[in-house]
Amino acid sequence: MPKLEYDFAMTCEGCSKAAQRNLAKIGVNDVEADLANKKLYVTTDIDQEKVLEALKKTGKEVSLSKVH
Amino acid sequence: RQTTVIDIEGMTCNSCVKNIENTISNAKGILNIKVSLENKEGIFTFDPELTHPEAVADAIDDMGFDASVNV
Ligand SMILES: [Cu+2]
Ligand SMILES: [Cu+2]
Repeated sequence: MPKLEYDFAMTCEGCSKAAQRNLAKIGVNDVEADLANKKLYVTTDIDQEKVLEALKKTGKEVSLSKVH
Repeated sequence: RQTTVIDIEGMTCNSCVKNIENTISNAKGILNIKVSLENKEGIFTFDPELTHPEAVADAIDDMGFDASVNV
């Protein structure tokens, strides 16, 4: 499964939890948050557009930076 | 105009508060917002012809915060 790396403008645990919660709503549960580096790692087969959309709903700036 | 109080779980700091206030202020029918980190709630004034409390709670829930209408 691809591991998607996002630059996510999170500033606190509230942001990373909100991202995880929104991803869980679309059935994505393998999420790692690196708060210090503002990185989010999402491992999933789900369409990347859907993942990005769920992350954008948090109100924070987000962009896909790499696919591992 | 009407006012509703919505319980909001998951806010950890003032940037969470600002994020919710800024995002929800763009939602249809919202007239005024006061979110409290301490009380884990938001007080929303809205135009009842354009929106209703459940829709406001849903919009906050969409942002990733657990939200439910209190009053
Ligand atoms: Cu935050
Ligand atoms: Cu916060």
